Amino acid sequence: MSRTATHNTVAPAVRTEGLTVRYGAFQALSDVTVSLPAGQISGLIGPNGAGKTTLLNAISGFTSIAEGSVHVGHADLTALDARRRALAGVVRGFQTVRLLDRESVLTNVLIGTERLPQPSALAQFFGLPSQWRAGRRDTAAAAEVLDLLGLTGQAHRRVDELPFASRRLVEVARVLVSSPSVILLDEPAAGLDQEGRQELAAVLTRVHHNHPSTMVVVEHDVDLVKSLCSYVIALDSGAFLRDGTPAEVFGDRQVQLAYFGRAAGADA
Amino acid sequence: MTGATITRPRRSAQPPATGRGAGARRILTRVAVFAVIAAVPPLLFDDYWVFMSAQVLAFAVATLGLDILYGRTGQMSLAHASFMGVGAYTTYIVSSYGHGPAIQLGAVVVVALLAALVVAVPTLRLSGLRLALVTLAFGELLAWVIRETTDLTGGTQGASVDPIVIGTWDSSEPLHAYLIALVPAAIATLLAAHLGRTQLGRRMLAVRDTELAAESVGVAVARTKITAFLISAVYAGIAGWLYAAIVGFIAPPDFDLFASVYLFVAVVIGGAGTVLGAWLGAAYIVLVPELFTLAGQPNLYPIVGGALLAVVALLVPDGIVGLGRGLWRRVRGARGGQEGSR
Repeated sequence: MSRTATHNTVAPAVRTEGLTVRYGAFQALSDVTVSLPAGQISGLIGPNGAGKTTLLNAISGFTSIAEGSVHVGHADLTALDARRRALAGVVRGFQTVRLLDRESVLTNVLIGTERLPQPSALAQFFGLPSQWRAGRRDTAAAAEVLDLLGLTGQAHRRVDELPFASRRLVEVARVLVSSPSVILLDEPAAGLDQEGRQELAAVLTRVHHNHPSTMVVVEHDVDLVKSLCSYVIALDSGAFLRDGTPAEVFGDRQVQLAYFGRAAGADA
Repeated sequence: MTGATITRPRRSAQPPATGRGAGARRILTRVAVFAVIAAVPPLLFDDYWVFMSAQVLAFAVATLGLDILYGRTGQMSLAHASFMGVGAYTTYIVSSYGHGPAIQLGAVVVVALLAALVVAVPTLRLSGLRLALVTLAFGELLAWVIRETTDLTGGTQGASVDPIVIGTWDSSEPLHAYLIALVPAAIATLLAAHLGRTQLGRRMLAVRDTELAAESVGVAVARTKITAFLISAVYAGIAGWLYAAIVGFIAPPDFDLFASVYLFVAVVIGGAGTVLGAWLGAAYIVLVPELFTLAGQPNLYPIVGGALLAVVALLVPDGIVGLGRGLWRRVRGARGGQEGSR
């Protein structure tokens, strides 16, 4: 059901070549070359410290790269900063939820419309017609994604009044609202209960079906990865370990040793 | 304010559920409340308090501007009164060449923008304490320029500014000053309120709260800070224009560090990040010292004011507006109201 590889022509593939990231003497990523298939949902797995978040940071421009390059489609994004990568269609969520705590759910989601063409600061400040048009478009997009995530009833609540699981969904909504072509989510299901996880997987599948994108999800829950992802990349200790279909990767002995052998998938 | 306006968290954009009718009603209610309150001084006060109220209008423009910079964008400036000074002295110089209010206003906006660019562009990567220090230096620079150009600015002795004259209206007349200042103050308020409903306004909130998240969706953090700084400087400049015309006399101490600190105090005590808070803060810094003076204890104001600031900063971080909202929420909670549902 989630194997919707029909949109490959629109969403770009994401490729890293020889990616190396160092924090001082510590090598967080070593020569990682991976290819995330276009228009599919890929899972990024590995034990804690494997470099999953670092890889996401490197792709989205939130960490500096010592060596290697990041490509989206035919474009080399290596030289672009995080903001320009976002404008180019690479939008991410954070493992530690980063929201505007004192603002409403709706405001938090609307901030994600920045990627859509926005009128000039002057037009916005003076409320020219172009601003009203953009405002209506953005509000409609936000309403749609809030509905999709079951947050419509919370739209006007301050996010610091919400339970943690809902706050995480608000961040997912902020990522999704502009329909980016590359979506990077860092443990979006963390803190959700079993039912919430399944719902989130269903929502992401639906989003992916409606708006073709290349989606990358860092996730510990093996069942969730299996039901959501059509492709899996396993990392260990900052190095590439294995890639392939979920069945191939989870069936691999090395992966089992690195991943299940140590943490049994329960370290989230 | 009606119940319908207050239960909603602050400055959210138009709700998808309630549609345009409810939003329009909310705006009309607020405009009506503003109009009623604005009508009080000319109808009920004597000339002296109308004069003080006109000053509240001028300072409200300044605090609204500082609120955009500090309350919404989280950037600390200790030069806000200096930008008022830029506006006031530009007004003085332009009016001394015999130019009327339209040209004065145009010159004030242009000079405030240029001065703000000079401060903002080199400091675009600064924030917090370092930005505060750079803005402080700008204030000192302005004071030095005024001291060194006595022929042009009147120097430390100050300068008498011609009133704004529009037709038969003359801002040296308190009622006329009040009515003349009411128009820019109302426009400044409308634009500041409207800003909260735009992506530009949301960018500022995102820069204040989480620059990482802002960047992750494509917000230009530095450009947003500069934009906020420019808007706040123009607000301050216009406030200085009004202040010069209403009071009729300007001197460097009107725009020094203490004046900037008081503006800052106004925004914090009123409630940072809210239009209403900026107004309450402006009323506070103009009227409360006057009340102390009337009571024969002018020296008490800095002491009481400082203590009040400490209390607000420690106990009510969202200022008077936040306190009011908290109380309102508790009242509604006690009545079994559905919090946040509508």
